[in-house]
Amino acid sequence: MTNDVEYGRYPVARLAVPEWMLKVERLGRVYGPYDDTVIASTGPEIGSSKSAVNGAVVAAWDVSFEVAAGEALGLVGESGSGKTTVLRCLAGDVAPSCGEARLRTTEGDVSMFDLDSSARRRLRIDTLAVVYQDPAEGLKMNISAGGNIAEPLTAAGWRNFGKIRDRASELLTRTEVPINRMDDLVRSFSGGMKQRVQIAKALANSPSVVLFDEPTTGLDASVAAGVLDLIRSLLEEHRIAAIVVSHDFSVIEMLTSRCLVMQHGRVVENALTDQLLEDPHHPYTQRLVAAARA
Amino acid sequence: MRREPVLDVRRLNKSFVLHAVSDRTVVAFADINFTLSAGEHVALAGMSGAGKSSLLKSIYRTYRPDSGEVWLQIHAGEYVDMCSLTDAEVAAIRGHEIGYVSQFLRSEPRRGALEIVARSARQRGMTDHDAREAAAAALHRVGIEERLWDVYASVLSGGEKQRVNLAAGTVHPPRLLLLDEPLSALDPENRERALTLIASLTHRGVAVVSIFHDLEAIQRLASRVLVLEKGRLVAERSPDELDERLTSAAR
Amino acid sequence: MLLDDLIDSAQSDELLDEFAKREIRRAILAAVAIPGYQVPFGSREMPVARGWGSGGLQITLAVVHDDDVVKVIDQGDDDGVNAVNLRRLVTTSTGADQTSIAAEASVIQSRHRIPEDGLDEESILVLQVPVPEPLRGVERDMRELARMHAEADYSRMWVSLYEDKVRNGVITQTTGYPCLVNDRYVVATTPIPRWDIPRLHESPFLTLFGAGREKRIYAIPPRTKVEPLTFEDVPFEVEHADGATCSLCKSNAAFLVSLPNSDVWMCSDTDWCRRTREASA
Repeated sequence: MTNDVEYGRYPVARLAVPEWMLKVERLGRVYGPYDDTVIASTGPEIGSSKSAVNGAVVAAWDVSFEVAAGEALGLVGESGSGKTTVLRCLAGDVAPSCGEARLRTTEGDVSMFDLDSSARRRLRIDTLAVVYQDPAEGLKMNISAGGNIAEPLTAAGWRNFGKIRDRASELLTRTEVPINRMDDLVRSFSGGMKQRVQIAKALANSPSVVLFDEPTTGLDASVAAGVLDLIRSLLEEHRIAAIVVSHDFSVIEMLTSRCLVMQHGRVVENALTDQLLEDPHHPYTQRLVAAARA
Repeated sequence: MRREPVLDVRRLNKSFVLHAVSDRTVVAFADINFTLSAGEHVALAGMSGAGKSSLLKSIYRTYRPDSGEVWLQIHAGEYVDMCSLTDAEVAAIRGHEIGYVSQFLRSEPRRGALEIVARSARQRGMTDHDAREAAAAALHRVGIEERLWDVYASVLSGGEKQRVNLAAGTVHPPRLLLLDEPLSALDPENRERALTLIASLTHRGVAVVSIFHDLEAIQRLASRVLVLEKGRLVAERSPDELDERLTSAAR
Repeated sequence: MLLDDLIDSAQSDELLDEFAKREIRRAILAAVAIPGYQVPFGSREMPVARGWGSGGLQITLAVVHDDDVVKVIDQGDDDGVNAVNLRRLVTTSTGADQTSIAAEASVIQSRHRIPEDGLDEESILVLQVPVPEPLRGVERDMRELARMHAEADYSRMWVSLYEDKVRNGVITQTTGYPCLVNDRYVVATTPIPRWDIPRLHESPFLTLFGAGREKRIYAIPPRTKVEPLTFEDVPFEVEHADGATCSLCKSNAAFLVSLPNSDVWMCSDTDWCRRTREASA
């Protein structure tokens, strides 16, 4: 043993790292025809995601990552960097051009991009939820808060009015929406309150993965802080695998432990969140962090 | 026979490439070697800018070292090299085996002190109930009054925040604790409490690497002092032989 | 005057040519094969305005032979103007006999009612449908509607029932109540009252739904499961007025309607009422 220490050969421990819940491999989304030349004509080195060869837009390319239960992964970058494209491919709102996304479910691993649209929708109902920047995208404005939550519940087969009401009020309480507003139209809610209702709806069927797309952008600072705090608590409570897309480092710092930085459709850096903020390597990341600190 | 170290830092190098400044390279530190055993407290000393904080952050892997190894004991007789772990592995290690207490409390809107400390305990594997009890005890130890436990930590005073931070870092002490000026904002009474707390941790076997801004803290707590100068480890001293000029208070 | 002219032309030349009948029959076969599924068909011009029974009329004309016996009602009434006109069109165009007694009829065309009795395995009920799309109230986009039916994604319909209950304390939808057919498709039951809904479930007769303006045909074959969409803990209830009886036959066993602004109730099914009175006389 002494010798081992002397010579620097320590017995190496096997680490128990949580297994992935969502695994994305070489995800790509290109608008327009493409081949290797077109792909090579875009990216951070070129300074554009639009190909000078044929005008195709390589919105995202070669994006790979894993997220485990109880972990939140950040996708950082400016608008047009491809982060929202990645999220929308995973959400099923946009069809990817290539790549694979595997989701661990109770019935085994599911290759999400191989599913038909019907199966994709089912996944959205009970396994993978999305919280959009614009509440109007995730909620029906002319329906009550409770009714919006009833939608995923009834889609998952809930047929008991009283139980639907109970679940909706439980979720609204948890997301700090006053219960006496449960039957009000979402249209009449403030921005922060709409976002809370959207989060409550996303959690309705206890999804294992939640995608957050700029969840607090557009909210007043104090309101945003409250929503962020809520999201953070929920992530801690529910062992959710989360992906948080944001251009805002304070959001990323608060919610995530690991990050991908995207620029011109590519991942340029991949690090622990505190590393990214304190020791950014890529020139683009350094610029972003410097701008955020300014 | 030599005791198995808790921490073995070998040939550790760290520099920063500043792309905005013509890709200039700034060396934080180079060729750092030292080991640390359980119950041992090593203080880092040196002028401001000597690389002390960078070294702590590199051990914690907030900074990504350029080269070298940071062997950390995580079970009896079993080690990991912090430098070669994946990000996910580092995240897992941080939760359990290595603690970092900085000068500042990370900003956490709408969290009470008790919740912040309890969460830290939960991350180290305690149940919700145990974590809250341990958090309460930890806050008592650093002298945070009960009436402040549910107040949002963001509105506490600088000294109070620092004590909450210390409580969170020590609530369920990890094998290795990294302290980066954890007492800088404390009044004499609370400073005394904190010193007692840190001393008790080393007695219980926690290995500590610290940076303090005053000589007295180093002399009361540290068993060894590593002196850094311009990013190099230039000397190892006993705390008694330490010179005022080598603490970070000298600027 | 105009109607008489049209009937003359129908007598000389059938309202639907054989080609049109065959197309409609094919649509009916598809509809029967996929209970509740709305089959598109090339709706023809009829001598009645679209929305006034043209879809039902085309189905009736396509299935009726000259040895059939036809009953036509409007809101349960054989003598409603619309019913009379449609009946004359059918009988003169096809040579079929007519009756007001459901049990004697082989084909019953109806607007807004199912006769109270007399339908059996030999009967075909043809319902005139103004709006065949049950999801029209929750979605306007045709492609989205098609997707919702294709995936049996009826959560939005459930949400509308939920909202109705929350707003009004009860589910207020009274006529044309949405039903799930054969555990698969949700259909609009045309504006028949709730009273008639349970009678569609596992019924011995074939029900054909025709929407002329919207160019859709759908069907509930005999012995098919038909469930009104309702929450487990909010029972589906049919119309009922406490103590109300028909002012003519004194019965309360049939669907009753009240005269406007009065407490006077009468059977909606006029022929059933007549027979009840005759039996007790």
